[in-house]
Amino acid sequence: MFSNQQITDLPQHKSIAFSPLADKALLHAQLSWLTFFIPLSIILAAVCYLNEGVANAAQQYLFFGMPVLLILAMVYNFINIRLQGVAMREHDIAFKKGVIWQHMTILPLARVQHIEIHRGPIERQLGLASLKLYSAGGMSADLQISGLTHNVCKNMRQFVQNYRQDEVIEQAEAINE
Amino acid sequence: MSDANPSSIEQKDAPLHELNWQKVSPWALAYFVMHFAVRFIRDGIFNLLPIGFVFVTQVENKLFWGQIAVAIALSALLIYSFLYYKSFRFCISDQHEILLNKGVFKKERLTLKFSRVQNVNIAEPFYFIPVNLVNCIFDAAGSVSQEAVLPGVTKEYAHKMRKQILAYKAQSNEKQPDSSVVHTKMLPSNSLFISNKEIAKFGLMSNMAILALAAIAPLINVAIDFLEKQLITKMEGFYEQELGLIANAAFFAMLTLIVLLVLFAVLLSVGMSLIRFYNYQLYFKGQKFKRVAGLLERHQLSMSLDKVQSIVIRQNFVARLLTRFTVEFLQASSGGVVAGTAAKKNKQTLILPVLNSEQVDSVCQWIYPWFSSKKLAFKGAERALLYKNLVFYALIPSLLTVAFCLITEFSWFISIGVMAVLSVLVTLSYKRYGYYFHEDNKRFYLVVRKGMIGVHYRVFELYKAQSARSVSTYLMRKSSLKNVYIQLASGFAFMPYIKDQDADFIIDFTLKQVESDRRSWI
Repeated sequence: MFSNQQITDLPQHKSIAFSPLADKALLHAQLSWLTFFIPLSIILAAVCYLNEGVANAAQQYLFFGMPVLLILAMVYNFINIRLQGVAMREHDIAFKKGVIWQHMTILPLARVQHIEIHRGPIERQLGLASLKLYSAGGMSADLQISGLTHNVCKNMRQFVQNYRQDEVIEQAEAINE
Repeated sequence: MSDANPSSIEQKDAPLHELNWQKVSPWALAYFVMHFAVRFIRDGIFNLLPIGFVFVTQVENKLFWGQIAVAIALSALLIYSFLYYKSFRFCISDQHEILLNKGVFKKERLTLKFSRVQNVNIAEPFYFIPVNLVNCIFDAAGSVSQEAVLPGVTKEYAHKMRKQILAYKAQSNEKQPDSSVVHTKMLPSNSLFISNKEIAKFGLMSNMAILALAAIAPLINVAIDFLEKQLITKMEGFYEQELGLIANAAFFAMLTLIVLLVLFAVLLSVGMSLIRFYNYQLYFKGQKFKRVAGLLERHQLSMSLDKVQSIVIRQNFVARLLTRFTVEFLQASSGGVVAGTAAKKNKQTLILPVLNSEQVDSVCQWIYPWFSSKKLAFKGAERALLYKNLVFYALIPSLLTVAFCLITEFSWFISIGVMAVLSVLVTLSYKRYGYYFHEDNKRFYLVVRKGMIGVHYRVFELYKAQSARSVSTYLMRKSSLKNVYIQLASGFAFMPYIKDQDADFIIDFTLKQVESDRRSWI
């Protein structure tokens, strides 16, 4: 085991102060869930209406089960959005998420291959956007952050695009001297 | 536009930087025919299956119409290849670019800058051996569509092209600060030759037997019908008459058939290994690997050391019995699994198929002088991982087996056997997990180990990392444990269930290396 723990200038990712997502991020998550839940409920109701056999077997369970599912999912969304956070540092971008499995991903800006900003119809209505950052070799985007305002996304993209590793290191060295 | 082929250019010693469009040698027609035939078989044959089905079931005079169809297909292939050859032009521009004009129905212009060329590979297909020509292949990292091939050029021309491009790239790299030059200049020239007997062992070790079976999968129904008519009934008769095994004749016949099929697959796998790695030669000089191998096509692969993202050393169950390892030098595969597979297909991964442990150490020491597999003091995962895996992968499946046995009235003692086997496998897997940091000459390396019966090591220099991630559940946080993933441009390193402070240190230290090291990672 490498044991030179005495390094004092090692930046600590544990001390990162994460910023919460945009105020409307929770509303976006709930509306996105409803766009799936409402059509599902309509289809199930139609099946029960048209097929007496299914109605007799499942109607009672669905009647109680669907509202419970709706409430549980909304509570889950609330906790999930609360637990998410994003932070920009001089050299990297950090993102934390997850309710059961809590993930913290840190992507050095020098390794970003390309950036995408996505805006779905609900996001456009709420003034939100999703940011995707890709490095080499990942299965898909290394970081996918939904629930940011469009302006924050654009600023972050600009910050990443303007990043020059050598310049930042030289500035830091000059300050230290 | 010049009609001179590269062989005549070479004889006249014309300078390469002249911007003149050139044709390739007429022998390149053989390459185009083979290339399009392989592409047709690989990509088009499945699309023709419905027509084949209609042909088999509906057409009466199959032989006649079959011959007509084959003649038309061959003529189309030859005409298309000829037209492609006629339209194929290349030139090397003053702006240090390789330009290709190609296409029959859709004209294409491919521009590949020297700076984007990762490797210049020289392949010598069997049909070019009598005329002493080769294919010169320019690889652009991770992108098959950007691969440029100059078919049917002389060896001297190909070597000259390689030298010109590598010299240009070396000149470009000199402008960038790269401390690796100082480090690697001191390295001596090394070489490795693998005997064909050893290469045959790779056929036993690799999964090529499965690939070979997958290749014949579309024909499996036909094969089974044929075998049932021709072999199984005869074998049943043999067992009944000669050995008097009337009751078990069908069982023995089937068993014999399975053994024969496995033997066939293994032989096929050995054959494929020999075709791919015949007379394997590897050279390492300065900063570059050069590998020459292949039976039908002598494929020459060159790879710069700084392009290597990680080294994987693997040993599966069969390899363990044979006490051999396979080593892979992986390049960047931007774009995920698909591109990674494409990089392998595109022969961008340098594979050392069969090495013993001394050879593994020796080869790794060419580039990492500190590497000694026996001296790697791995730090393992915490015991909580063993307990969790025993519950999820041994206890729960065993309880399900008990329930199954009770329902189906089997003896529930079976579940004890299941529990014992799964527990042993889980324990073996737990014991394999480990990581090892190493510092050498102010450079930092990480070796990550995993496996079960076999073993898998990944070795990489920390500054090559792409991103770092920690994952934890509620119970893990209670026990101050984390899983750590270090994403690389070729795969990732996974360290499960390590203590919080160690996990945080690994992530912070890796990020420091990535963010403070000015060397180019690709």
